[in-house]
This record gives sequence, structure tokens and C-alpha cells, in this order.
Amino acid sequence: MAKTNISKMRRALMRSNTRLLLSAVMIFQAAALLLLALEDNPLDVQALVLAVAVPVATMLVSVVMAKIWPVDRAIVIMAMLLCSVGIITLQDIARSAVTPRNQAIYACAGIVAMFAGAAFIRWFTAWKKWTPWLMALCVLALLTPLVFRDNSKNAYNWIRIAGISIQPSEFIKPALILILASGLSNHPRFLKTLPTLGFAALCCGILLMEKDLGALLLYFLTTVLMFFVATSNWFLTLCGLGMGAGCAVIAYQMFGYVRERIAIWQNPWSDPLDVGYQVVQSLIAIGSGGLFGTGLGLGMPRNIPLYHSDFIFAAIAEEFGLIFSVGLLAVYVLLIMRGLIVSANARTSFHSLASFGLVAMIGLQTMLIVGGNTKLLPLTGVTLPLISSGGSSLVSTFLSMGILLGISSMNAQDEAKDIDRIELAEEVFS
Amino acid sequence: MKEIRRNLRIVGTLIVCLFLGLAAWYAATVYDQGSIWASNVYNQRLSRSNLRRGDILDRRGNILATTDEDGSRVYLSDADDRRALAHTVGDTAGMSGTGVENYYSATLLDVSTSLTDRLSELFSHSQRMGSSVQLTIDGPWTAYVSSIFPQGYNGAVCIMNYKTGEILVMVSKPDYDPYALANRAEEDVVDSAYINRCLQGQYAPGSVFKIVTCASALTYLDGIEQQTITCSSSWKYEGGSIVCGSGNITHGNINLKTALSKSCNVAFGKIAYQLGFDRLGATAENFGFNYNFQFDDLTLYNSSFPTKSGNMSDLVWAGIGQSTVTVSPMHMCMIASSVANGGIMMEPKLVKEIRTSLGVVTKSLSPAPFRRVMDASVADKIASYMYEAVKSGTATKAAIPGYTVCGKTGSAETSDNKSKATNAWYVGFLYDDNHPYCISVVIEEGGAGGNIAASLASKALAYCVR
Repeated sequence: MAKTNISKMRRALMRSNTRLLLSAVMIFQAAALLLLALEDNPLDVQALVLAVAVPVATMLVSVVMAKIWPVDRAIVIMAMLLCSVGIITLQDIARSAVTPRNQAIYACAGIVAMFAGAAFIRWFTAWKKWTPWLMALCVLALLTPLVFRDNSKNAYNWIRIAGISIQPSEFIKPALILILASGLSNHPRFLKTLPTLGFAALCCGILLMEKDLGALLLYFLTTVLMFFVATSNWFLTLCGLGMGAGCAVIAYQMFGYVRERIAIWQNPWSDPLDVGYQVVQSLIAIGSGGLFGTGLGLGMPRNIPLYHSDFIFAAIAEEFGLIFSVGLLAVYVLLIMRGLIVSANARTSFHSLASFGLVAMIGLQTMLIVGGNTKLLPLTGVTLPLISSGGSSLVSTFLSMGILLGISSMNAQDEAKDIDRIELAEEVFS
Repeated sequence: MKEIRRNLRIVGTLIVCLFLGLAAWYAATVYDQGSIWASNVYNQRLSRSNLRRGDILDRRGNILATTDEDGSRVYLSDADDRRALAHTVGDTAGMSGTGVENYYSATLLDVSTSLTDRLSELFSHSQRMGSSVQLTIDGPWTAYVSSIFPQGYNGAVCIMNYKTGEILVMVSKPDYDPYALANRAEEDVVDSAYINRCLQGQYAPGSVFKIVTCASALTYLDGIEQQTITCSSSWKYEGGSIVCGSGNITHGNINLKTALSKSCNVAFGKIAYQLGFDRLGATAENFGFNYNFQFDDLTLYNSSFPTKSGNMSDLVWAGIGQSTVTVSPMHMCMIASSVANGGIMMEPKLVKEIRTSLGVVTKSLSPAPFRRVMDASVADKIASYMYEAVKSGTATKAAIPGYTVCGKTGSAETSDNKSKATNAWYVGFLYDDNHPYCISVVIEEGGAGGNIAASLASKALAYCVR
């Protein structure tokens, strides 16, 4: 019985064969890193090591994870692909070899976090009980940068513990989504959702004090979208959006740095050497890359300030070209669609909302930063999920992916149980 | 759960659509504008790439800017000449935003937007050379005009061919050295030296605007030429008064011709009053005021005329080019050109020829009228008045022996503070088929236009016809 159960679980899960996808991704990773290794004279040993390690890690993670739980392997492989694009780009363009090495180490930590996230969400059944504690923890964590400010960074949203700079707002993202999912599940009446929404508003307020506009915008939009999905209340959703717009106008009036961002966005070319410098250099890099890019290792994306974090999309567009960077957006879209399927198949409204929130957050974040790089939107300092350098963001996004995968494995098991039940019913009644 | 799934579908579709929109917008703008971004002077990649910027030449073929063996940009060796042409030619850092180096960057680098060109670029790794741009500018003339510009003053001089619209000279003071660029944000940029005042300067025209008021009067007021206008040195209209000179000049009973040649404020205040905002505004807009100048070869800052104001004082003062009327020296030169050219204003041209590295001419000068701004008969009358101004009026210092010179002076007040010197203006042209040159001069705080500006114009044009 146990054996047939597993085979049916596979059948439920593997509607598509991921072997082709996995091989293509591994070939890409190995080829790109080998190219980087051979480009240097003498041989770049670190790139050579990565050229072996990255594809192997991708395969191991996807195989092992699928062995433990019946997760959606396509999501695993796409997450690993995006992460490896980040490592490859950094290996190529970073000024020192330390940045890609650290990124690889963070990626390992992220993979551990992914497994932990999947295990956690499968274990986390008593979510209602834990929510208040989680809320308190979140607020405390968000407030830490105001107390233990990391003076080495030019922003208020970092703390420094044991020599490592950490951005708490990154780690709060999955926690916030779980809290929201818990507070909004099971069709609550509006009044019952107020504590949860108040908590989200409090987080936004703290972020405004820390001048972390990007995270603020993400938190706000995710909250509104989740509220809509949970309650299907068009009126209140639009009210929320209107309130957000009102706050944006007030912020524009009150804070100089908001006005400056908007002015730069409207015409970066008016002061291309000073305040518009970042965006102008980003556009120049994208334009220099053209359709096919300058080629890996042949571009000069270091001319863009923050080429490794906020503007990594422009750096990728320069080296890999327009076609690849549009393809990269397509990978994000596929990841999001896959995540939406997980959300639609979830058995409880908590899991459905949680997986939706995670996917929406990643989608919005990608849109914000890509739009900022290409002057479609004002620039907000958020990372490109899984690609930008930076440990906090990478580990937190992997953790979110883990939660999503955990939910997908629960869906698959539930589906397998359904199939069993149907077959049992057929046996009984035939 | 069913409801959640339905909402998921809505929001999921929304997110995916937003992504598709983002990708489509991104691809379209990069495809459309990518080469413009890339060819920008702020792109540090270009100096080290295998692209070689094309040359910039003057109308005689003198090289104003070229690229040497190791890829660095070389300008004229003589420091004074280099400075004189700096605003026109531009610089590698894009300090002069209107300079050819900046405005024609894509041409000088020959960055093509077409897909086939990009594909062939991909497979050829030879050093590519951009197109060369030959300007209508005369290098030696520009250097001369710059050298005779009065020391210690700021201002601008434009000379153009009024039949073709070719710009021959553009001088903007203070000038700068493209080899010694300061940081634009720093304090040591004296009097916004990087601004090309010819194209970007916005000055009150003062009495040179009377040409436009005169054209309006000849168009709309029948018998204005025969009308006698009385000037008793000042005139009180309801709400204010206007004076000639500092109230010490009395022109007496004069006609329109004398009013223009002697530059009588009272007479033109009265004419503006007779015309009213609608008619004077219509003429001014026909001359290009309040128009968004986007020519093929250059962009000109807009000139403005207060058509919307209903204030009597604004009307009277606008008639003599004060109030909130502003104009760029290049536009004023175009206005004078239209008088010389029988009422047709020509489009200003800066580029004579663009030639690819293989010698193929991709663009050559083709004079085009901007529009007819007044009847030929009106233009001829104004020209005769301006001739009178040089013969016996305010502009006698602009005369050049042996040539028919027509001109108009102006002394524009820039503040209510009478102790501050006025901006000295002069616009004029040579009535000569072989030398169809029109000039406009503005010298900031240069005093009366009849002195400093008219004599500079006379010296400059005499050099050009020599």
C-alpha cells in the first residue's frame, strides 16, 4: 500500500517532466562559469570550482528535496537558476572575488533556509496560537535598526551582529505574510481583521522612519492584495489603495528625499552627473548592451553605481543583452504562475493566502526594481529577488521559497490521498 | 475557498499582465532609445571602445574636433579659438548640452538603430569610425568676433545668412575651455559659462522688439505711415507712464519711420495701445514667440510674449520689448533676417553636411523656410526704416562704408534699479546679395545699444565682407 501511495503521489505531482529543465539549467550554469574561469589568465580557480559546484548543487537540491517531500521541482529549479545567474554575474563583474564567494556562501545558507522553511510550514499547524508572538517578534526586529544602527551603511535599516550586517526588514517579509495569512484566513469579518491590518500599518510606519521606501511599498501593496484575495471586498481594497496614494502625496510634501526621488525619475538627464547619475548610468549600460549584450566578461557594468545590488538588472542587461534580460523576466513570471497554482491548490485558506502572499511579494519586488532600473518607475532600493548580492535578501527569499515548496508538497500529498480515496471508492462500489 | 480561488485568478492575471507590460515596455524603449542612451557623452565605455568619434569641421573644412591615435578627443590648438568655439562644438563631458558633441553624439559615433546593422556589428570586430559633421559655422569669423567682444562683459553674438538660414557665427561669453572642465556643480563656473547664450539665453529685447510692433502696426493699422504721432518725452496712460530716454528726450511730431529710426518709446507705447493685446500678440506669435522651437539641427529656448495679460501697463511696455517679453539672441537674429529676406523667416541651420567614414553623404544642407511672418511690402518698409536708423538714427555706429546697412538698437532694462546698466542690443543686416548676413548682438549691462553693441556689429560684419 505504501509503495503505490508514493507512486501515486508522484503522478499527482509530476504533471510535467522536469529533467529537461534541470539539464538545461545545469548546462547554462557550467558553461557560463567555465567561460569566466578560462577568460582569466592564469585560470580563475574560484570560477572553476563554482562551475562544478553550482550545477551539482542545483541537481542535489532538486533531487534531495523531491525525495524528502513531493515538492514542485520546477519551482526549486527556477529558484536555483535565478540564484546562479546572480552568482555568475557577480563572479564576472564584482571588483573582488570575495563578493561572489560570499554570495555562494549565502546561497548555501539560503538552501538550508529553504529546507527549514518547507519543514516549518508543514509543522506549523497551530498558526492561530502563534500569531501574536510572531507579531511581537516582528516589531522588535523592525525596531532594532533604530537602536543598534549600523553606522557603516548610509541607511537606517541595517543592524550589525557579530561582524555581519543584517537587514531585518528582509526577514520580516515571510513572517508578515504568515501573520497576514493567519489573520485573514477563514473569511473573517472586517472588524476581526483590524488587529492584523493595524500590525501591517505599524510595520509600514516603522519603515517610513527608517527611510526604507522600497520595503514600505512592498509591505503595503502585498497587504492590500492579500486583503482583497481573502475578503473579495472591492470597496475596502480600493479605499486602502486610495489611502496609500494619499499617504504617498503627504510623504511627497513632507519628505525631501521622496521629492528628490520623483524629480530624478521624471528627468534623470537634467543632472546626469550628480543626482541623476545612477539612473543615467543604468540606462547607458542597458543601451550599450543592446539586443545581444556585450558578452559575458566583455562589458563594463562597473560604471553603474551599485551594480551588484540595486542595479544588477542593468548590469545583466549590458552583458547578456535585451533578449536574455526579457527572458529573465519570463523566468520570474513562470515562477509566479507556478506559485499561483500552488496557492490555488492549497487545502486551507491559510496556506492559500500564505503562498499567494509570498508569490505576490516576489512579483512586486521584481517589478519595482526592474522598473526602477529602466526608468519606468521611480527608483526604490529593493533587491532583485535571488539575484542581487546581499545575504539578508537571498536567505529571506530562499526561506519564502521553502515555505511555498512546503505548501506545494502538502497539496501533492492531499491530492494523492484524494486519488486513493477515489480508487478505494471505485473498488468498493465496483 | 472557492471565492479565494476566484480572487487568486483575478489578482494573478493582474500580476502576470503587469509583468508582460513591463517586459514589453522595457523591450520597446531599449529597442527605440537604447542607441541614444549608449551614444551619450556620459558613457565612459565609448572612450575605450573600438568606436572612433567622427570629426567636426567648420564650413571651410577646418577641423574643429577630431580623435587622435589613442582615442582621445583633440580640439583646436589655439586656446582663444578653442574657447571661442567651445559652446558650438561642445566637449567630451557634455557640459555644453547644446554642443554638437552632445547633440550629434549618435551621428559622430554612427550608432545605428536598425536591427540588421546591429547584427552585422556583432560579427565584425574592426574599429569603426563615426560620421564626420561639417557645420555651417565659419571658424575664423567666430574666433575674430570672440576676440573683439568687449573685455569683462557677458553676452552673445549670432551671425546668420538670412537667405539660407545658415548660422555662421555663434559666440557666447563667458566662454570655457573644453580641455579644462570644472565640475558643473562647483562654484567656480563663472556666470553659467557652460550655457550657450545664443540659444539658451532669455533676454528682455527692449527696443529691438519695436521691429515686431512696427510689423504689427503696418499689418493691422491702415494709414499708420501717414499718421503723426506726438512725443512730448513722456506719456501718461491710465495706470502709468512711459518716457523716452530718462525723460529728457523729446521727439516732437513724428511719423512711424522716424519713430523706429529714433527709437521713440512714447510712439511705440501708443502704437501698442492702439493695436491691443490681440493684434500685437498675434503678430508676435507669428514671429515665433511662445512657439516650441524644435528645429532639425538645434533646439532653441522658447521666447515668450504675454498674450494672456489684460493689464494696460503690460501692453504698453510689451510694445517696446519690456514687461515679461523675453527672446533668445538667435531668435532675434531670425526676426531681423525675416525683415531682410522679404518677410520669410528661414529655419536656422547648423549642419552643412554629414559624411560617413566611407565618404557617403547622409545629410546635406537644404534651406527651409520656417514660415512667412509678414508681407513682403511690410518687410521692405521696416528695412527702409532700419536703414534710416543707421544713416541718421540711433544706430549710426553700425554703419560700414560702402555697404547698405540696416539696423536697430536696443537698451533693455533688466531691473527697476535705474543705476544698473541696461543690456545693450543691436540687430541688423547687410543689404547685399553677395553678403546676405544678419547679426544680433547682446551685451549684458553694456549700457546703450547704440554705442557698444552697434560698433561691435559694425566691426564684425566689416570683417566678414572684407
